[in-house]
Amino acid sequence: MASSSTRRRVTMILAAVLLSASCSLGTGPIAPGSLSAAGSLAGASFTVGSKEFTEQEILCHITSLALRSVGATVTEKCGLAGSNTARTALTSGGIDLYWEYTGTAWISFLQHTRPITDPAEQYKAVAQEDLAKNHLVWLDPAPFNSTYALAVKSDTARSLGVRTISDYARLVTTNPAAASTCVASEFVSRDDGLPGLEKAYGFEIPHANTATLNEEAIYHAVATANPCVVGEAIATDGRIEGLGLTLLEDDKHFFPVYNPAPVVPQSVSQAHPQLAKVIHVLAAALDTKTIRELNEKVDIEGQDESMAAQAWLEDKGFIGK
Amino acid sequence: MATTVLASRGSREQPSGRDNVPGRSALRTTAGLLFTPILLSAVCLALFAYLGSRDLDDIERRSINAEVIGRSLVEHLRLVALSTVIVVVIAVPLGILLTRPGPRRLAPVFLALANIGQAVPSVGLLVLLAVTAGIGFSQAVVALVVYSLLPVLRNTMIGLQRVDRTLIDAGRGMGLTRTAVLFRVELPLAIPVMLAGIRVALIINVGTATLAVFTNAGGLGTLIETGIVLNRITILLTGSILAAVLALAVDWLAGLAERLLRPRGL
Repeated sequence: MASSSTRRRVTMILAAVLLSASCSLGTGPIAPGSLSAAGSLAGASFTVGSKEFTEQEILCHITSLALRSVGATVTEKCGLAGSNTARTALTSGGIDLYWEYTGTAWISFLQHTRPITDPAEQYKAVAQEDLAKNHLVWLDPAPFNSTYALAVKSDTARSLGVRTISDYARLVTTNPAAASTCVASEFVSRDDGLPGLEKAYGFEIPHANTATLNEEAIYHAVATANPCVVGEAIATDGRIEGLGLTLLEDDKHFFPVYNPAPVVPQSVSQAHPQLAKVIHVLAAALDTKTIRELNEKVDIEGQDESMAAQAWLEDKGFIGK
Repeated sequence: MATTVLASRGSREQPSGRDNVPGRSALRTTAGLLFTPILLSAVCLALFAYLGSRDLDDIERRSINAEVIGRSLVEHLRLVALSTVIVVVIAVPLGILLTRPGPRRLAPVFLALANIGQAVPSVGLLVLLAVTAGIGFSQAVVALVVYSLLPVLRNTMIGLQRVDRTLIDAGRGMGLTRTAVLFRVELPLAIPVMLAGIRVALIINVGTATLAVFTNAGGLGTLIETGIVLNRITILLTGSILAAVLALAVDWLAGLAERLLRPRGL
């Protein structure tokens, strides 16, 4: 007769098995939708990764669900901390795909210092160089632009009389304390960040009037005016609308383009030519309005990233219900 | 008078028969003392030579210049200095208090609190503070104080507890008041252990202060974080090596202070 401790052990093992089974059920096949007309990836298996912020996680789940709906088996490794980590995971074979931004790859990985202003040219340059140097293939980009921008609370913008970055530059020069700015360390060092902005608009903000924070913390900091009234932001973030912020107009068109595109190793791309076809359809549907809404659903309404991704894919008919 | 009695009891640095030559042991001591600063200077020189030899791009030059490195170093030193001073001011009197017969009952409570302070990951502490009290230099100092309280508090208590009871009794027997016994018998004997704890706290603070960048308090963590997010090894190396050198330098200085402050005759 099994003793109570043995029974307890058996129960725990059963629970663990059930739990892991239910977890794997979460990444099983998805009902096909219109994407299956673009191509089939039956029998293929991929590991999809992403960086750790909301937009990246959403893209990770969108890709995973889409690929599963056309027959692939997908392991998800969403939420890797940092561009560096995600990129290294890709080059070392830990993941097969993640969405990278053209501007980021150009500056950080291909180590250029000056961005290319035309989106198509920037994409082509990045794709060509990454293929030649690192044997990485850039699939079709999505049209949305995750560009840097300066965000201000809407009321503050009105009271300070700033609508464009030129206005902001004037304010910094005349009254820097009123234009306290939150920045992330990346933005402070990149050519397409604060230094380039200062050069293009002809201002120089004193170090004492800047605050260096984590990128994600800046939105809340600006919304509560503590410790700054202006902050670096990503144009597609859901918190801009949600926290009542507005973006200052880049009237001199300084900021470069950051179109996201899935990056895969050349071997993976050659082994699965249908992948590019599926992504081609998917990427085209990801415009600025779409990604902003998805970001808002997660960051403001508190939805789960994979739920939001699934809902959107089902709405568009890309996957079945 | 009391100290002379204690001196003969506590003395353990009698020169052995063999190296009875005072000149030789003094030379060895000086050599030993100079080893660390020479090593650290060599490391710094090697670092700057490496940086000078490389063709730094725009991004690297924005972080690797005298102004930024200097400012980061100064911010780091301010954080470490202020937090250690505050820790000593809080922990030493508290430690003394908690070894007195009355408050001794509360000792486990405060030790547990100090333990929690060190067990909670420093980043977690910073985030908790950011959520409740905002970000900035003071919040970073608070996190550093909470984090490095345990070694100083515990060492103060242990140092005082380990004082031989017979010495305290001897002091009392000689007519010293409790306070006099504390300041003239117990504390001098406990100082080596206390200083060891303060030394540990200093080094902990140098390391933990690299996280201050996440709360807008600057420090050498700025270079480290920039190097990581921008994938530039030179910046990362500069920040990390300077932080390590600073920790070792602080440790060496603390060792010097320990030598100087150690009561003679112990």
